[in-house]
Amino acid sequence: MSQTITAAHSAAIDSLHVAYLAALDKGDMVAWAATFSLAPEASYFCISTENDRRGLPLALMYDDCRGRIDDRVSFVTKVWVGTYQPYRTRHFIQRLSCEAAGNNRYRVTSGFTIMMSAEGGTTAVLTSGEYRDLIEIQGDHAVFCERRAVYDADVLPRYIVFPF
Amino acid sequence: MSSQCSDNYTGKAPAVWPAKVNQIPKEVFGDEALFEEELKKIFYGDCWHVVGHFAEIPNAGDFKTFDLGRVPLLISRGKDNQVRVFFNSCTHRGNQLEVATSGNRKEFECPYHRWLFSLEGALTACPGSKEFAPDFKQENFGLMEVKSAQFMGIIFVTMGKNTPPLTEWLGEIVPPTLSTLLGGDGRLKLLGYQKVRYDSNWKGYNDNDGYHAPMLHTAFRLLNWQGGTTGFQRMTKNGHVVFEAELKAIQNNGFVNDPSLVEFKGSDPAKGSRIVQFFPATVMVKHLDIINLRFAMARSHDVTEVHYAYFAHEDDDEAMIQHRIRQSSNLLGPCGMISMEDAAIFQRIHIGNQTPGFAEFQKGVTSLSEIPMDVKQNDETGNLPRWEHYRKVMGFKREGEK
Repeated sequence: MSQTITAAHSAAIDSLHVAYLAALDKGDMVAWAATFSLAPEASYFCISTENDRRGLPLALMYDDCRGRIDDRVSFVTKVWVGTYQPYRTRHFIQRLSCEAAGNNRYRVTSGFTIMMSAEGGTTAVLTSGEYRDLIEIQGDHAVFCERRAVYDADVLPRYIVFPF
Repeated sequence: MSSQCSDNYTGKAPAVWPAKVNQIPKEVFGDEALFEEELKKIFYGDCWHVVGHFAEIPNAGDFKTFDLGRVPLLISRGKDNQVRVFFNSCTHRGNQLEVATSGNRKEFECPYHRWLFSLEGALTACPGSKEFAPDFKQENFGLMEVKSAQFMGIIFVTMGKNTPPLTEWLGEIVPPTLSTLLGGDGRLKLLGYQKVRYDSNWKGYNDNDGYHAPMLHTAFRLLNWQGGTTGFQRMTKNGHVVFEAELKAIQNNGFVNDPSLVEFKGSDPAKGSRIVQFFPATVMVKHLDIINLRFAMARSHDVTEVHYAYFAHEDDDEAMIQHRIRQSSNLLGPCGMISMEDAAIFQRIHIGNQTPGFAEFQKGVTSLSEIPMDVKQNDETGNLPRWEHYRKVMGFKREGEK
């Protein structure tokens, strides 16, 4: 881990991770979107390891601007209501690396696991993977300028409603 | 309330189907033993199956693996640029030859006894062969090739002995729409995959993918996005469905922050939506600027795996490629704004079909005894010729039929 990060910045990054997974584990899409920068170029990608490794650009979720991040909130909260089979998730993450990128920004990677519990069903692994983030410290808190969730499963076990 | 069963429910498909052509016995979706029969009569039978597209393996040495039912396939582009489909099995003791889902090789080596196969399938080395059986001849032990054919780069295979030629199997209705769907000539460039398993019978998947009533999709209403009325559905007697529809440009009413998700930038605005639904499983879609081939694998009676492969056209400029990537990723597929809802139906309908009675087709039914071949854009009867083909292939009799 880089020596240049301050304890305050490290704590802010940890808090951001917690806010992100807490939002998704509550199914709170507005809180999920709130973990991203308000800058127009804020981005979220969710892509398979296979596509990522082969340099294939197609993703499962390709939100390359702030507008698309907000549109994803609408998909879940307005478009898809009443159609999908509900499931709850638990995200577990561990930070793997953190490098200063200048201007109060950090390149951070973390491993993640997502457990899913289908309504009326058992708990199973949805997938695991790696978050590759560009995080910016804004005052006393941190936001994602970019989050790239590269998931491990070559084949996902179900259709997907919530971001990873 | 309706009561449709007098006997105890068994979950087994009935040997005799109802006389009414718009009723499908729901048991065909959940009967485990029936799946074994389907493997034999359909997936390993006299039928062509889509397993890939040339654009997935554009260079010599490129390969992908795929399964037809439980049969593992190795699809390889040789040094001669020919695409061949082999059983993914060493011809010695049957070991799975290639374990990767895709890649590029100079040759294929079985690690068990180091048998080596060329990209074209010839056995080129087999250490210790002097001590092999007296009748061993190296040239007889090349990889076993599966009969294949192609249409604009789509790779079809069949294991049947009496499968008709591909052109005959496609018929006259499929090729024109399919050509346009493939960008006019099939010269495609792979953008990537979304791969997912559905808890759904393959027939339930195929029956509900492709075209269906737009009522499911709240997004159409929220976007005030109306389909045109000049489209058509056409069916072949061997179970394919072809669909074309006009897609009117949406008036952005502010529902989406990024309207490029539903913008049409291609050269075919009159017919924005084209679907080819092959018998038995695979569906292909061109919607707006998305070119999406959905390679489906029947894993069991209640699991269907779908590899959504997305493509650009080789002649696209960078802006068009980028547009296709952005649109393809977020609109169709197992997390797409529109198609996530389809995926939910595949699984919900599979659960609901584990009950007595019939899947009832209603909209567009004009006769209870004749299979409809003249179907309007929004009718659900387009599926019935496929069901009739399925019934005949599987040997189910109709009530009153001798």
